Amino acid sequence: MKTNKPRSKGRTVFLIVWLGVVVGLLAAILLIGIPQGESEDLRELMQDAVLHETNKVSLFGLAVSPALLSAYIMTGALLVAALLIRLIAVPRFRTVPGRFQTLMEKAVDFFSDIAKGNSPRKTGFVAAYIFSAGVYVFFSTVFEMLGIQAVTTEGKSVALPAPLADINGALAMGFLSFFVIFGAGLVVNGPKGALKVLKDFSLPVSMSFRLFGALLSGLIVTELVYHYTALSFGLPVLVGVVFTLLHAVIQAYVLSMLVSIFYGEAVAPPKAGKQTQQAPQ
Amino acid sequence: MPLNIDIVQILLHMLNFVLLAGGLTLILFNPVRRFMDERRRTFEEREAENRKNAQENERLKAEYEAKLLALQEETAAARRQAEKDAAETAKAYIDSSRAEAAAILAKAEDDAEKRKEQILDSAQTEIGELVIGATQKLLGETATPERTQALYDAFLDQAEKKAARKEKHV
Repeated sequence: MKTNKPRSKGRTVFLIVWLGVVVGLLAAILLIGIPQGESEDLRELMQDAVLHETNKVSLFGLAVSPALLSAYIMTGALLVAALLIRLIAVPRFRTVPGRFQTLMEKAVDFFSDIAKGNSPRKTGFVAAYIFSAGVYVFFSTVFEMLGIQAVTTEGKSVALPAPLADINGALAMGFLSFFVIFGAGLVVNGPKGALKVLKDFSLPVSMSFRLFGALLSGLIVTELVYHYTALSFGLPVLVGVVFTLLHAVIQAYVLSMLVSIFYGEAVAPPKAGKQTQQAPQ
Repeated sequence: MPLNIDIVQILLHMLNFVLLAGGLTLILFNPVRRFMDERRRTFEEREAENRKNAQENERLKAEYEAKLLALQEETAAARRQAEKDAAETAKAYIDSSRAEAAAILAKAEDDAEKRKEQILDSAQTEIGELVIGATQKLLGETATPERTQALYDAFLDQAEKKAARKEKHV
């Protein structure tokens, strides 16, 4: 009973301080007046968020979009994490898995099941590919929440965006996925398989712009919300975290599913290929 | 280019993802999948072994049951044979005992008859001697020819009966 008193006293102090800070901030906002959002040019902000034309960072001596730097940082972090998992966790894997092992196995199983469910054969390669793509899309989308700062070539500070919020990153993913599907069709079914894939020439463009649009929409909504001070209380928690997590999961799933479906069509035997599920455009 | 599309940056993005995909596949995806495949194979092998053992158990059980049934039949036959033998032996013993008992009984009856005869002979002899003694005593006091004749007749009669009984026993 005696030990609870200091804790409740501390809690009371914390509540008083917290409420004081909140009331003080609200009072300051009311006294100064809620800005109407015209202090910064929204058009320029949006244009830069979409096109990344203004702010460039240096990478390997090239002036590139900050998203490319984000992509390499993300890749480095993911490879280091994978290496640590490989060296520390994987040798300790047991027949009856623990929590972390279950998480790893579920992730591998999830993408393997998508591959097996959509491809009649040669699922090992596409499973590994969509695993990497899914992990990359998810973590690179979540990456924007970290708000890591970088210095532009003009000496300004800029928060690193999600790699796929850059049209070049999205196009790279779309075309790479198309090449993988095209290559698989060519290797497994010969020229007929490749032609079957070439028939859907809009595939890389549609995949790229779907990915880019999805990522960009989240970014634009977040930028808009942050642009107005009045919306900066509480709402960014929902918009910035929940929305980002949601579209990270959704985009990872959608890209993995699309690649595996198109891959399945490309590698399907000629007769069975006509009966396979029609991929969405 | 429109939309700030840059081929070099696209290629750099591709290079980045190719590095990531290769690394993740080699470092993480393949080892985890290999572990899972090995575990699945181990479980399948165990399952196959269990299935094989179950089949072997079923076979052994059937074999055991067949043997048990044969054994039960054999035991039942042996029991029936033993019961039959026991019954025959018992019957033989009973018959033998009965015969022996009959022989013992017959001998006992014979012995008893002989003993009875002996006792009767002895008793008759004694009675005869007593009668003779009494007769002699009586004759010594009141001897008449009729009484003497009657006594002789009685004596002869008794002697004949005794001789007849002896003949019968012989």
